[in-house]
Amino acid sequence: MNDHSTYRIWLMRSAFVGLALVILFVHLLPLNLVPSNWALPNLMIGFAFAWSVRRPEYVPPVLLGLVLLLADLLLQRPPGLWAAIGLLACESLKAQAPTLRVATFLTEWATVTGLIIGATVVNRVILAVLLVDVPGLWLTFVQMGMTILFYPAFVFVTHVIMGVRKSVPGDLDTLGGRT
Amino acid sequence: MAKDRSNNHDYGGPLRRLLLSVMMLVLIAIFLLWRIDSPRVERFRAQVTDRIVPNFDWAMAPVTGTVKLFRDFQSYQRIAEQNQELKRELRRMKEWKEAALQLEEENARLLDLNKVRLDPRLTFITGVVMADSGSPFRQSVLLNVGARDGLIDGWATMDGLGLVGRISGVAKNTSRVILLTDASSRIPALVQPSGQRVIVAGDNSAVPPIDFLENPDLVRAGDRVVSSGDGGVFPSGLLIGQIAKDPGGRLRVRLAADYERLEFLRVMRSYSNEPVSDVTTVLAPSGGIDPQTTEVVNE
Repeated sequence: MNDHSTYRIWLMRSAFVGLALVILFVHLLPLNLVPSNWALPNLMIGFAFAWSVRRPEYVPPVLLGLVLLLADLLLQRPPGLWAAIGLLACESLKAQAPTLRVATFLTEWATVTGLIIGATVVNRVILAVLLVDVPGLWLTFVQMGMTILFYPAFVFVTHVIMGVRKSVPGDLDTLGGRT
Repeated sequence: MAKDRSNNHDYGGPLRRLLLSVMMLVLIAIFLLWRIDSPRVERFRAQVTDRIVPNFDWAMAPVTGTVKLFRDFQSYQRIAEQNQELKRELRRMKEWKEAALQLEEENARLLDLNKVRLDPRLTFITGVVMADSGSPFRQSVLLNVGARDGLIDGWATMDGLGLVGRISGVAKNTSRVILLTDASSRIPALVQPSGQRVIVAGDNSAVPPIDFLENPDLVRAGDRVVSSGDGGVFPSGLLIGQIAKDPGGRLRVRLAADYERLEFLRVMRSYSNEPVSDVTTVLAPSGGIDPQTTEVVNE
């Protein structure tokens, strides 16, 4: 059983990396080259949150940090900052995971909403303090709103399609296997 | 039970804490390094992009093609109407073609009389658009030509009709083009009949505004805007677009390049430029300079 659990952990970790690559691929498709007034949700951070709440062991900090850094580099953001903020937010979610595991989805959504708003504000403030050009306020706002709005969709994909579910008491899960 | 286990294992584990702190430190260090020495980190970014994005290429082209095909279905619905429109347009174009041919002949005759020689080095390389910036906040595209093809930072790119942007960030196989619509794009330009010098300053909208216009009275909607070549980083005389007035009365440029369909871009070679480099040298008074420094500068 031990072998099986370790195998599953690494399988799901690579699945997360695969998901991240698919997200980057979607973002990089040269479909819309005209500037527009709306923005896609931040898929990467949405999925990172959904996974962190469900199975913290599938998204260890180093993996998460590297994936977010790669996203920063490829998507033309100031490298490292959003990754650091995202990582911190995910870790705080992981710390709350035991409580969130038994709570309703609405509680989880509210927690995530708070984190997304907080992360966006902190990101903007740090950029402004360090005199980096901050992106347009409206676009940032739209992206933040979309990410919050689409969070249930991220959870749906994570839960139903990728099979990453909250562990329930008495579950013979991956953690049990490593004891 | 679940609570106990998670406390035991995951979050309290010193190794885990250590890894998290190290990761955070690394990320913050990268960000600060980027803030301090941006060109170095941007070069690193270009190299990472160069390694990763070409691997997506095999899937990117068909997916983009399919999505565009579905989008075009809307236009197929009114294809007859479009056909009529095109025929009318074609007739008008033929008249223009005739006029252009006559002018070309005249131009050639005059050039010959003046013994003007055009710069033979002003040629172009065509690249394919591989990817966009991936973020709604930045307007740039990635081309599949790079240092391997002799590209240099600062060269202009066109879509055959109008200016699209300039090369900023060259890796071995890929290069990034900052579009005129990007918030960091600033292009010195000339408004045609009146000859006023302006800056076309991108602001992340489809029609970039113009800055530093001396006399707005001389400029009217519909005037042609071409690149002026001021500052020596850009060839002059490339068509940018036409002046248009927005509802707020601000003058903007309606770009000539068709940003809806950027598939192939021409990168204009121009060697006469001053090289764009990030190395700065100290301007010292000519008298008080020691021989060693002079040597370095001369090199």
